[in-house]
Amino acid sequence: MNVLLALPALLLIALVFGWPMARYTWLSFHADSVLTGLVPIPNGGANWVRLLSDARFWQDSLQTARFAVMSVSLELLLALAIALLLDQRWRGRGAVRALTLLPWALPTTMMALGWRWIFNTPYGPLEQLAAALGLPSLNLLADPNFAWMATVAADVWKTTPFITLILLAGLQTIPADLYEAFRLEGGKPWQSLRSITLPLLTPYILLSLLFRLAQAFGVFDLIQILTGGGPASSTESLALYAYLNAMRFLDFGYSATVMLGGFLMLTVIIVLAAIALRSIGVLRPVK
Amino acid sequence: MTLELQSVGRRFGENWILRQLDLSVNEGECVALLGASGCGKSTALRLIAGLDQPDAGQILIHGRRVDGIPARQRRIGMVFQSYALFPHLSVRNNLELGLKIRGLPVEERQNRISGMLDVVKLSAQADRLPAQLSGGQRQRVALARALLRDPLIYLLDEPMSNLDAQLRDELRPELKKLILNGPQPVIYVTHDQQEAMALADRIAVMRSGQIEQIGSPQELYDKPMTTYVAQFIGRPPMNLLEDDDVMVGIRPEHLYFDAEGMPCELINREWHGASQQFILNSPRGELQMISSGDTIVPERPTVAWKRDLEHRFSKSSGFRQ
Repeated sequence: MNVLLALPALLLIALVFGWPMARYTWLSFHADSVLTGLVPIPNGGANWVRLLSDARFWQDSLQTARFAVMSVSLELLLALAIALLLDQRWRGRGAVRALTLLPWALPTTMMALGWRWIFNTPYGPLEQLAAALGLPSLNLLADPNFAWMATVAADVWKTTPFITLILLAGLQTIPADLYEAFRLEGGKPWQSLRSITLPLLTPYILLSLLFRLAQAFGVFDLIQILTGGGPASSTESLALYAYLNAMRFLDFGYSATVMLGGFLMLTVIIVLAAIALRSIGVLRPVK
Repeated sequence: MTLELQSVGRRFGENWILRQLDLSVNEGECVALLGASGCGKSTALRLIAGLDQPDAGQILIHGRRVDGIPARQRRIGMVFQSYALFPHLSVRNNLELGLKIRGLPVEERQNRISGMLDVVKLSAQADRLPAQLSGGQRQRVALARALLRDPLIYLLDEPMSNLDAQLRDELRPELKKLILNGPQPVIYVTHDQQEAMALADRIAVMRSGQIEQIGSPQELYDKPMTTYVAQFIGRPPMNLLEDDDVMVGIRPEHLYFDAEGMPCELINREWHGASQQFILNSPRGELQMISSGDTIVPERPTVAWKRDLEHRFSKSSGFRQ
């Protein structure tokens, strides 16, 4: 009976998630490129063997992980500070709350073009500022060692509001009298952050981490517009590499393999994280 | 005087929600702040606790001014209406948090907590989360936390209002034993006159930010100074009959059937066993009446009361005459 009630949802998931995944898996065991005249030909596990020894794939995996971890942790810290501030009572809070959300409401393509202009050499504001301060030209987007930081900065700017929103909602579920009871027990305000706010906010922090890590791991549009993966592939993400394989090299079999490889890695990371969190008691098993 | 409020006022914008509040509470005394919601009783409690600051007047504990002193330094044991237990901490950790903050050594913390768990009969539930406790158990955790604060004053904010009627009756003696019988003064906020009568040494009936009357339960019952107090104290409320420019008040329990009395029509009768309650329609208005369970209702009810038991209030001001 219970299964029957869940059937519509399960069917939907099978349709929009199960079918593409099955199709990708099937494709990853075929050669399907310009060389085969775009006709899928079974090639055993050749795509997967190639993936394991593909230095660019592993390089991109590391770059994707670096991007995801850096941007999500910065976003979390910033969002926590902003959410705590927006949870206080002060004049004009409503307007600031609305303004804070704006970056998230902008389409990524638009905001990425904006950031490309900010980093533009020699006309962008950043370069102008450096020149005004008498600093040498930064030329950030052209430097393979630093370009990834520009992608992180733009992502932090755009998605901090999303985490802020989730954390702010979480903060508002904490009853005020818990803080009052804590004060009467002799606690100072900064102590309540550790004793009350953070423990009660943990589910919301985990939720936003899950959302954002999954999203950041699949980052495409921001990087495609800001750097196109360059310079020298130094900002290329897995999604960009998969796109490149499909759309430029017209190798759909291998593109599917790259995609699945990234997906499997992300799944393993999340499962390991869940097990770790459960073992230290942060996550409770669902009953 | 252990606790003193001297012409304390609090306003929100132009609206004074507490005006010129004077209150003195002695060692070991329990004073109930009784009133309808919005009368300012909870605000008064929050001012004493230091969770809110007065706009006028001063508050003294043991002769020392405390307005201006942060809540955490006032040594107040408070029980919140919601109990305000920390939902992510077990019963034991709920009790321990305050002791830890106040820097008690581990061993002493553990001794005091296990002793307290015995007192409130929660030793078996020590490792449960608040969500896994019954309402009565949660209340006892809140009481235990207030007791462990070792406070100068107890403040109880409607501690019974989240419990069902039967549990309330059961917990009242426990509350008396644990807190009310101690040497610290207790301020007990409630909107339930029965609870105030049962627990408090004195009751302050509050109305629109002021104390309407303060006195022992008996004084308020025997000699209410206004029609408001007269109708707030006692269940069912006092009957008020108009008589020229006077309101005549008669308690329902002071009415009796008498052949010489005022003819009435019986509208409703509730029989409670030991007592029974009537609603009667008289030429002077509707009357509530209580009598013992074995009273026989005459076929044509006529009611009377003893003249010396009636209360007289001014019709224009509502004050006792």
